[in-house]
Amino acid sequence: MLRTAVLSLLLALCGYAAADWLTHGFQVWTDEGARRLEVVLQPVDAPRVAVDGPGVAAPDLPALLAQGGGVTIADFIYTRCQSVCLSLGSSFQQLQAALQADRAAGQRANVRLLSISFDGAHDHPAALRAYAQGLRADPALWRFVRVPDAAQEQALLRRLGVVVVPDGRGDYEHNAALLVFDARGRMVRVFDVAEQQLALDYARHLARSAP
Amino acid sequence: MTAGPRCTPRTQAALGLALCVLLAWPTLRHALEASMWRHMVLQFPLLMVAGALLAAALPPRARGAVARWNAHGIAGLVGVAGVLAVLMVPRALDLALRDGTIEAAKGAALVLAGAALRLSWRAAGLVVQGFFLGNMLPMTAVVGQLYIDAPLRLCNAYLLDDQARLGQWLIALAVLLALGWLAQVGWWMARREGAALLPHEA
Repeated sequence: MLRTAVLSLLLALCGYAAADWLTHGFQVWTDEGARRLEVVLQPVDAPRVAVDGPGVAAPDLPALLAQGGGVTIADFIYTRCQSVCLSLGSSFQQLQAALQADRAAGQRANVRLLSISFDGAHDHPAALRAYAQGLRADPALWRFVRVPDAAQEQALLRRLGVVVVPDGRGDYEHNAALLVFDARGRMVRVFDVAEQQLALDYARHLARSAP
Repeated sequence: MTAGPRCTPRTQAALGLALCVLLAWPTLRHALEASMWRHMVLQFPLLMVAGALLAAALPPRARGAVARWNAHGIAGLVGVAGVLAVLMVPRALDLALRDGTIEAAKGAALVLAGAALRLSWRAAGLVVQGFFLGNMLPMTAVVGQLYIDAPLRLCNAYLLDDQARLGQWLIALAVLLALGWLAQVGWWMARREGAALLPHEA
């Protein structure tokens, strides 16, 4: 009976340790929560993937993020989207309006917006341009790119923890979020779509405190 | 359990091994894991069944050694409860999909849990069985209700309606297992009373 008690206790401790590891000390229960926590602890470098888009002259993603030495709030989209991207689009429109107001008030918070398509096979620069015009995007503030190479696109999604699932009705479901990149091209925070104001304030703060 | 004459321990172990290989086979694995409810309500129990079948191959001496560390099946059931509780964390499903090591650990843990369940169940007796199920089944049902009610996707790899369907399955499974166990207890007690009324039969 003693042996049973010892083994039971040991097994219970193993279970506790596994749960502790899985949930980062019982802080997160989902993989999305873990992703957001892990990026705070350890920023993620944007991989060197080639990008193209309307009016974009950078050879790859880190170079694009480094342009102008500012902070970038990015999201993932696909132009055929009819569901969550519409709300992401409108939250980006509100972010753009706030940044335009900053500029008009003479505050130079160096924050820009970037929408990255994960449907590179379909979202050619022309499609992205039409999509941007539909959202009345200001090209100086808000840019649109795709990753033309499918393998690089997968590498980018994997590195940044973006999971795209076909929903069976011709659309895609994905863990939509606001990703904040610093001027060195590192993803430093991931905010929920609903935390748009928090993301903006964080990005402004980061841009101001950057050298 | 009365194992039929054709279902010798060796046959059972072979079946268990075949089931393991089948479940590890990428095509079937991906088909089961393509949906959240199949992943949890089909793949998990099948892996446990494979483990239970494999446990038949344990020679009597090893069985005795296991039993010494597993009085009343308590250690085994604690292990099973731990494995199932950890695997109910939504993150475990997502991680298993994108990390081969986690996937292998998940499969091994479930096979071992199946074997432990088989080696512990009869030794446990009604009281320990009831305690085990009284903990596990309400937990399963509560997790199921959470999956039904959650307005957000808890796994990045699965859709919201899939998650709700998994919740319904988990609740149904908890109810069915509870009813099945109660029916078995009722049948067993009725039989015992019947035997008590006929004292000379033995």
